[in-house]
Amino acid sequence: MNQINALVLTGYGLNCDHETAYVFEQAGARAERVHINALIDGSVSLDRFQIMSFIGGFSWGDDHGAGVVQAVRMRTRIGDQLLRFVEQGKLVIGICNGFQCLVNLGLLPGLDGDYTRRSVALTFNDCGNFRDDWVHLAVDAESPCVFTRGIDHLELPVRHGEGKFVTDRDTQRALNANRQIVLRYALPDGRPAKGAFPHNPNGAMDDVAGICDPTGRVFGLMPHPEAFNHWTNHPDWTRTRELAKRGRIPMPAGLTPGVRVFKNAVDYFAAG
Amino acid sequence: MASRIEITLKPELIDAEGELLRRKAGDYFGIQIDGVRTVHIVTVDADLAVDQIERARNEIFTNPVTQISSLAPLPVAADWIIWVGFRPGVRDNPGATAVEAMADLLGKRFAQGEAVYTSRRYCLQGKHLTAADVERIANQLLANDIIQQWRIYSAADWDPAQGVGLIVPKVRLDHTPTLTVLPIDSDATLQRLSKERNLALNPNDIPVIRAYFLDPRVQAERAQVGLSDPTDLELEYISQARSDHCNHNTFRGLFHYTDATSGQRETIDNLFKSCIQTPTRQLQQQKPWVVSVLWDNAGVGRFDDAHYYTITGETHNSPSNMEAYGGAITGIVGIYRDPLGTGLGSRLIMGSYGFCVGPRDYAGDLKPRLHPRRLLDGVIEGVRDGGNKSGIPTPFGQVLFDHGYMGKCLVYVTALGIMPAEVAGRPSEQKTILPGDAVIMCGGRVGKDGIHGVTASSETFSAHTPAGHVQIGDPYTQKKMHDFLLEARDRGLIRFITDNGGGGLSSSVGETARFSNGCEIQLEKVPLKYAGLDQWEIWVSESQERMTVAVAPAHVEAFLALSARHGVESTVIGEYTDSGKLHITYEGRPCAYVDLDLLTAGFPQWTFAAEWRDPQARGLIEPVLGVPGDQNRLLLDMLARPNICSKEWISRQYDHEVQGTSVIKPLVGVGRDVVSDAAVLRPVLGSRRGLAFSQALLPFYSRIDAYHMTACTIDEAVRRLIAVGGDPEHLGGVDNFCWPTIEYDPLTNPDGRFKAAQLVRSCQALRDMCLAYEIPLLSGKDSMYVDGHLPGRYGETHKVSALESLQFSATSVIPDIERCVTLDPKVPGDRVYLLGDTRDELGGSEYYDLLGYVGCQVPRVWPEPFMARYRALAEAVEQGWIASAHGIFRGGLGVHLAMKAMAGQMGLAVDLARVPVEGNPTRDDVLLYAESAGRFILTVDPRHAEAFETLCKDLPLACIGRTVAEPRLTVQGSTGQTIIDLSVAALKEAWRKPFGDLI
Repeated sequence: MNQINALVLTGYGLNCDHETAYVFEQAGARAERVHINALIDGSVSLDRFQIMSFIGGFSWGDDHGAGVVQAVRMRTRIGDQLLRFVEQGKLVIGICNGFQCLVNLGLLPGLDGDYTRRSVALTFNDCGNFRDDWVHLAVDAESPCVFTRGIDHLELPVRHGEGKFVTDRDTQRALNANRQIVLRYALPDGRPAKGAFPHNPNGAMDDVAGICDPTGRVFGLMPHPEAFNHWTNHPDWTRTRELAKRGRIPMPAGLTPGVRVFKNAVDYFAAG
Repeated sequence: MASRIEITLKPELIDAEGELLRRKAGDYFGIQIDGVRTVHIVTVDADLAVDQIERARNEIFTNPVTQISSLAPLPVAADWIIWVGFRPGVRDNPGATAVEAMADLLGKRFAQGEAVYTSRRYCLQGKHLTAADVERIANQLLANDIIQQWRIYSAADWDPAQGVGLIVPKVRLDHTPTLTVLPIDSDATLQRLSKERNLALNPNDIPVIRAYFLDPRVQAERAQVGLSDPTDLELEYISQARSDHCNHNTFRGLFHYTDATSGQRETIDNLFKSCIQTPTRQLQQQKPWVVSVLWDNAGVGRFDDAHYYTITGETHNSPSNMEAYGGAITGIVGIYRDPLGTGLGSRLIMGSYGFCVGPRDYAGDLKPRLHPRRLLDGVIEGVRDGGNKSGIPTPFGQVLFDHGYMGKCLVYVTALGIMPAEVAGRPSEQKTILPGDAVIMCGGRVGKDGIHGVTASSETFSAHTPAGHVQIGDPYTQKKMHDFLLEARDRGLIRFITDNGGGGLSSSVGETARFSNGCEIQLEKVPLKYAGLDQWEIWVSESQERMTVAVAPAHVEAFLALSARHGVESTVIGEYTDSGKLHITYEGRPCAYVDLDLLTAGFPQWTFAAEWRDPQARGLIEPVLGVPGDQNRLLLDMLARPNICSKEWISRQYDHEVQGTSVIKPLVGVGRDVVSDAAVLRPVLGSRRGLAFSQALLPFYSRIDAYHMTACTIDEAVRRLIAVGGDPEHLGGVDNFCWPTIEYDPLTNPDGRFKAAQLVRSCQALRDMCLAYEIPLLSGKDSMYVDGHLPGRYGETHKVSALESLQFSATSVIPDIERCVTLDPKVPGDRVYLLGDTRDELGGSEYYDLLGYVGCQVPRVWPEPFMARYRALAEAVEQGWIASAHGIFRGGLGVHLAMKAMAGQMGLAVDLARVPVEGNPTRDDVLLYAESAGRFILTVDPRHAEAFETLCKDLPLACIGRTVAEPRLTVQGSTGQTIIDLSVAALKEAWRKPFGDLI
């Protein structure tokens, strides 16, 4: 397999760069942390990369809406390059602040091939506060999303104050019809959270936690798969280990579910 | 011409911010509001055309999916409107990012003086709201007059066409920078100047300062550069450097200690040297993992062969007491600069907090500037924004309530970083400066904010404390600088780095100049927020988010280019020299010319009288109590105590997993809601090594004896580490003292000598414990003057002093994180062990406090036997025998059995008759609620029981019961009857009751 290069965007208050680079490396890609300004001044070219990640953080302090100012800067300076990257069939993932940026750029949801229109939003949590908690996520197996192939549920941490997914009725209908709603907040048994706090931590419409574009190549989600990069990240891991030691359940092995999200992206190119 | 954009959420969407305000008004004041909608106002004071403003409105400030906006006031229904904006000169973070965004979008450079200001108006609906209600909401929930201004409009007053008008809080100083030469013809004159200018000079220092400036050699040298009498800048510099905050005069003082009971007298010269420096130096010899201590911004310990960790802590009490949010965010963001400025710079990996405030439901007569509830809300939010927006996890923290913190709250902040052992071929923990290196200031700009912060925190808070020093931290600007400086470090561009904290450039340049032995600063080069600052103000301003860096001349260009790439402002403001002088000019004119060694020699040591009276002599006795009959209710009431109950709402606001390093989280167990003994991180992704961190804070025992308070605090911090799998051979410590004023004054501080004795005893315990547990003190800070004078019912004031408080932080390195242990029992049928003996030690306990007593028999620490237990437990953890481990802390065995049951959602059946005891405590209340140190509750797979018991055969270990599947805590009393029988659900309900509804 040819080397897959993953770009991890940094700068201006973004902050999940090290762990995102780490999960890409675990997934078999070569990850490079690149400052937003290095793309803008042309010293780093997007052409070298197959995967671009918009990572978590507080770009521009989240002032004026999370991800808004980052989207303004990127659209104004390198909007064309971003559109070309998507057109070339490459992959984009936006996590938390990155998801917020993607929807403000219009790269998501990309309905009707329009990757510039803002038609969904991630706004303030109904609970009125930033919240760090692990959530259960149900994955739509019928979704075209490249990143969630072979995964039917996930447990990941959310860490945000503005994660409530909002859109109008028509957009929601279209997203459902296209199976673009990839992840939904769920109860521990996998049933839909139906808005119930804290399972749905932010009051997101229809429990939406992550969406993709109609091609499944652009993916955005509020939870943090890169924060589940080792089995000891999971809140229950010490209990899991104890039960496994007594032979009641198997010991976790292989890549974590969080890393599998990134592995899917790398494998996508291997599959050609 | 200024323009105004108003933005609000579409009416069909929930306004979470408004809803929070509605809820708080109801919960805090019983004021019923029907609904609140928030309008964000962006006021642009710049030369822009209407179509440019429109473009910014559409593309930046309005989300088309969720918001509506207008250049005219939005017609939002309201019975009352409250507008809140910043006062001039207060840091407006969203205003600053708005400038960046508009500059990007419009391709416009904002000229000096052009700016964007943000403010809010809250549209309140409620037919029964009165003007007094609305005023209360404005000044007790929304705004603090130190940093904010507000206006209130009734529906009748509101002009829908004008709205709030155009409010531009621009700083206009209209002042020509002036250097003032100050006469020092007598000590009295200098004393007067000190008072007038708020220099807080110690009277004993005054003759020394005068003698220096009157020295003929000094006068001759000064004449050569054009100076005569001292300038205001020079006196400010000396005042900053000599302040207790910077110089730790108290800890370096001479203490005349008398034990009034035994009549013994003792003189202790320099608590810092005798109790902190000497033991730490001694331990450094024994512990090769101690890399660098006692000189840099943070201590340095070895994490693995290729990485060092750095740690330090401090407090931000005075500013938080006045402006809770601003004080706390400035505190946490400020402490993050210390590891960043340690060695050649370390990357931040975690922070932690400790908040000590008055009772949250205080309803007495005293009127603190901020009610404890409001103060706590503010400090929680400040540390939240400061930590989260810095991208640094906050996996540990503690909150304590006590009446003594009404006078002044405590806001402890701690920061840890990591750095490669080698940077560009150099050892990362070493640094020095060569003459000719550039002095570079990076990060934020300098304004009038933060002037006299250091000297103000060195004094008791009174009505005359200048409020101007309260600032608002800007984690965004600092995060950019953090990323930039680490890249510069890795490229080998940094020769020396330090933070700009208390004292501003005065401290950072003044202290770094000692490494090359001199500097020349051109003060006009320092970038300012606005014109008109006097030279001394530029020099001492504590404007935040700045670092001072020494860069070799050959690297200056590359350093500045990289700075620009990261969107960070860096400016060469002078050059390091070897002249022996601090030489400052402003546009070519001299401002200061001072010998750098002036501050290191000649100043008299502070002296204190300390008088100890033992608890009995102070009239403390053990209360005469009969054994409680209703143990169920007692336990439930204990769990609902403010200092015991669940505070999940705080932990969840803090991002504790960013950086992907989380191993043991702050909340653990099946319900993920019980507080972990310690946090464990995996700071080097890909490695299996972990860093464990814990803190303890037990000021209550100071009511009896600060020696034992200190010993128990250190023991608890250590025990917390051992419980999660920490290595007893690698224990690092950070001491953080917060003490009431110890200078005796018959009128203003009649018990000053006792408080001084408590400080001496605390330091001696620190020394004794650190030597016994082999804990080098990697870092430490002290904050004195934790007192306040609060107005009462009749306008009289009451002095309220905090308990003598020591927060102790501890670190350990864990070779393999996969062996870590959490406190929740995991499997029914496991044996429940108690390791450590219980003594008749209820003095200062939560139980006595519940019943209104202090008592006498405070818990004690017996280091050697305790350490034997810790080593045994560490061995058992390494063998994989321990299914769960939990220290017994505040509240005693009863409370912590409940914690375990709640964490495991599992029953525990235990028998108090089997509890190992020392002495002869047999009473159930003593066994359940004594807070004897050195104890753990463990659960063990029966298959490992024999091996574990053999390992502990010489230790006070007993199997006191079993875990059971039915989630029920049952406790058999010493007489054989079941005295506690409660479901886990009932325990949890009681424990969550006080704050369970908060989010």
